[in-house]
Formats: sequence, structure tokens, C-alpha cells
Amino acid sequence: MKNMSVQMNRSLMLCSALMAKLTILVVEDDPLARKIMETHLGGHSVEFAADKASALEKLAARNHDLCFIDLKLGRNDECSGLQLIPVAASKGVYSVVMSGHDSENYIERAYELGCNDFFSKGNEEENIGSILERFLRKRGQVKVDEVFVESFVTEDPSTRATIAEALNYAPSSLPVLLLGPSGTGKTTLAKVIHDHSNRSGEFVAINCAAYSEDLLEAELFGYRKGAFTGASDNRRGRLLQANGGTLFLDEVGSMSLKMQTKLLKAIEEGTFYPLGADKLETSHFRIISATLEDIRSLINSNRMRFDFFQRIHGFTVQLKPLAHRKCDLLPLISFLTRAQKRLAFTPDAKAEILRHDWPGNIRELRKFVDLLLAGDEGCVSVETVSRLLKTIRVEDGTDSFATEAQFRFALSQGLNEAVDRFIDTIIKRAVTQNYGRKAKTLADLKISTRLLYSSLRRIGRHPRQEPVS
Amino acid sequence: MSAGKAGDLDSLIHDINSKSASLKTAARLLQKSPHAEMRELLALMEQQAKSIVEEIQALEASLNRK
Repeated sequence: MKNMSVQMNRSLMLCSALMAKLTILVVEDDPLARKIMETHLGGHSVEFAADKASALEKLAARNHDLCFIDLKLGRNDECSGLQLIPVAASKGVYSVVMSGHDSENYIERAYELGCNDFFSKGNEEENIGSILERFLRKRGQVKVDEVFVESFVTEDPSTRATIAEALNYAPSSLPVLLLGPSGTGKTTLAKVIHDHSNRSGEFVAINCAAYSEDLLEAELFGYRKGAFTGASDNRRGRLLQANGGTLFLDEVGSMSLKMQTKLLKAIEEGTFYPLGADKLETSHFRIISATLEDIRSLINSNRMRFDFFQRIHGFTVQLKPLAHRKCDLLPLISFLTRAQKRLAFTPDAKAEILRHDWPGNIRELRKFVDLLLAGDEGCVSVETVSRLLKTIRVEDGTDSFATEAQFRFALSQGLNEAVDRFIDTIIKRAVTQNYGRKAKTLADLKISTRLLYSSLRRIGRHPRQEPVS
Repeated sequence: MSAGKAGDLDSLIHDINSKSASLKTAARLLQKSPHAEMRELLALMEQQAKSIVEEIQALEASLNRK
């Protein structure tokens, strides 16, 4: 119980530390209750008033974000605090009644007069944190349209709905898991969520797939000079850099189980030792993770610990590939060219853009736009669009041997399964084209009898299996 | 009981509830407070406890006057 209480208070103080500084008026006649509020609201700009008259003066003199109001202000007072509620409400101040007078009568009256929250005294430790979070969530109820025009451009209704819901949780410390194919905007969305979180700390990103296990550990936890060969200086790790902010774990699916265990401990305890250090470091951050892999498959194949998954997913956003939200293509092109040469497209050019599947998603689209801007055309023709799309495919290898769907299949079912499926598809087609003649199939495909018959056995077991193309 | 006395009792009940709640919260805060802040809290808590006693004594006195 003691540990829970310490943790709660820590999280409250933390809340204060992490949030933007708020201007708060506390109307309370009891000196001990004022002291308690002062302690729990540390880090914010707090004014006090002990009676109705001075409260009215202070409300008039300054714009407050929140006002905590005790109803009974003085020994013989007739709950004059109630009269402050409509005054605060008319100024757009978020008013919270914290009172020992918590009969239904008073609660109803307070809400009728326009208060936003009503709490009984005695639980300040738990209540103040959640009140501030609720206030920030309400305030931060972002002009969502702005986000979809300025930061994460989409006109797709379901994508907008998911992102709007995610932004509701932006001011909280709920971890967010972003799923979606490569190039769909996971990093952009992570930044948007951080920007709307009111966190005073930084947005710190790390691509977990870009490092070996040892290097990832060093990057995340930091190290002391001499901790290992090559550690020529002390280095502050990403966990410390993210203190008070957001830690974005990109490609979290590639993290080893050992690293997941270490990171889980650091997330849960908020403390860790940098490599080679004997001094414990503290850091509190919000986690946003992203992966293009299938999460269920990661857990089922024991590549992700279930307890680690529980810790990194509070709210999940699934981003659709551009092929499933083609309504975004032209607005995205407009957005990507907004500060540069504006382009027009012939009807055929637009149709060609919409016909293409954009397997590289926004990354591919960005490259396409860069190539367009480097060219001479202001009104882009269909021939230019086709030529540039072909160029991008050759450069990226997106026209390469393995399609996006085959790649994703391999990730979800395993490479062996994907290879078998590919072999079966080719052999079935060849046998069909050769009217069942196996000798010709063997010669055409240059394969062994063993391979042919093992494939035919598999096809025989799953005759309706669809090729992955 | 007269309306006046009922009112006094209501007031006492409310004040005891409210002030006890503050005392409990303050006591929990003592655990995490540095020395100087602890002294300040204890002084306020003592004042609070005394004010409860005063209110109880005042109600007692008004009952005795009857």
C-alpha cells in the first residue's frame, strides 16, 4: 500500500512536471487544505483566495486555466463558493469543486451552475492528477481538421476517425502502438501524437532494426567511458533523452527478447543503469511503438514477449496502405508541393496516379513528387507519370522479384511457408499449361522430380490455396 | 432539536468531515516531505485539530446553555 501511495504521488508530481505550466486559482479558506493543494500542484502557477471577494478579484484580474473551489468558505459561510462557479464558467475557466459538502443536492447544484468536475475532499493525491489530465484532454481536443490538413494529410474517413481517437489520448501517458506497412506515416503520426501530448520533453526516435542487439542496448541505455571497446566517452542514452517526453520505438518487432526484457524493466521501474555505470538513472517517458509486422504473429512465434506487448500497447492505430485510401493521393501531392512549384495533371495523368498501387506508400509518393518537381512540366501528362513510376520501381526494386504482398506473407507465416507457396504456384501453373505433362514441367522449370512431387502433394492437400502475388 | 441547533450540528459534521480529510491527506504527505515542509505541515495539522476541538466545545457550550 505504501509503495502504491508513493508511486501515485510520484506519478502526480510527474504529471505536473510533464505538463505545460498551467495557471490555477485555488479558492480555499482552510490553511491546511491550501497547503495540500500547493504541494500537489507544484510546477504550475498557483494563486490562492480564502474568500469569495478575493476570489472574484483574482478571477477578474487574470485568465486562469483552472479554478479549484471549496464550497464553504469560512465558519458561518453559506456555501458562497457556489456563486463563483458561474463567474469562472463565463470566463471559460475549467472549474473544479473540491468540497466536504458532497451531498447529491450540492453536486447537482454545482453542475447546474456550470462546474466541470466535482470531487470530495480527501483524495487529492489521486484526484488532482486525473483532473489535470482530463482538463488537458478536453483542451487538447484538437481542431482535428487542422491535423489532417497540416500534419497528417488524409481524407479517408476511417483513418481520420482512428487518428482523432488517438489524439484524444495524446495528453495521457497511455502507450500507443502504430501498425501499418512501410511508408504509411507511422513516424509522422507518432510526432503528431507527441506534439499534442503537452509533454515538455523531447520526441526521441530510434529504429530498432537499424542496430545489432549490443548497439541497440548502448543506444537506448547510454554508456560510460570504457564500458566496452570503442566507448571512448560517456554517452547519454535515448531513454534519458526522452525523459519527460516521448520515446518512439520504430520497428519494435525486430527487438530481441533479451532487449525486450531489459527495456520492460526500465519502462516499469523508470530506472536503469547505463552500460558500465554504477549510478542508477531515472527517466519517465511515454512510449509510442511501431511495426509493419503482424503483432499476433510476433507473439505466437515467440518473437515478442506478451508482457512486453502489454506494456507497449494501450491504444492501437492501424494505418492503411495508400492503395486502400486512394482518395488521399491527390491531396497528398498537393500537400507535398505546397511550398514549391504547383502542379496540374491532365485527366489521364490523374487516372494513372489513381490506378497505381503505390506499394512504397507515402515514401514512394514523395519520391514521385521530387522527380516531378525536378522536371519541366507544370501540367503533368500521363506519359510523364508512367515514366516516373517505372523509374521509381526500378530504383527501389519495388518491381523486384518479391512483391509487397509476398513480403508481408513471409513476415506473417515465415519464409519457409512463403517459399513453399511460391513453388506450388509456379508448379501448378506450369503443370496446367503443359496439360498435366510432368516430364515437360520438369524440363521447363529445371527442377528435380522430388521437388515436383512434394509440391504436387502439398497442392493435393490444399487444392484451393490461393497464390500470393 | 431546534432548527438553529440542527444547523450548528450540520455545520459541525461538515467541518469535521472536511478537516479530517485534510488531516489524513496531510499525514500521508508527511512521509514524502523534507524536514522544513514537515514542520510546516505539522503546525498546520495542529491548528486544524485545535479548530475541530474548538468547534466541538462551542457546540457543547451551546447545548449546556439550554
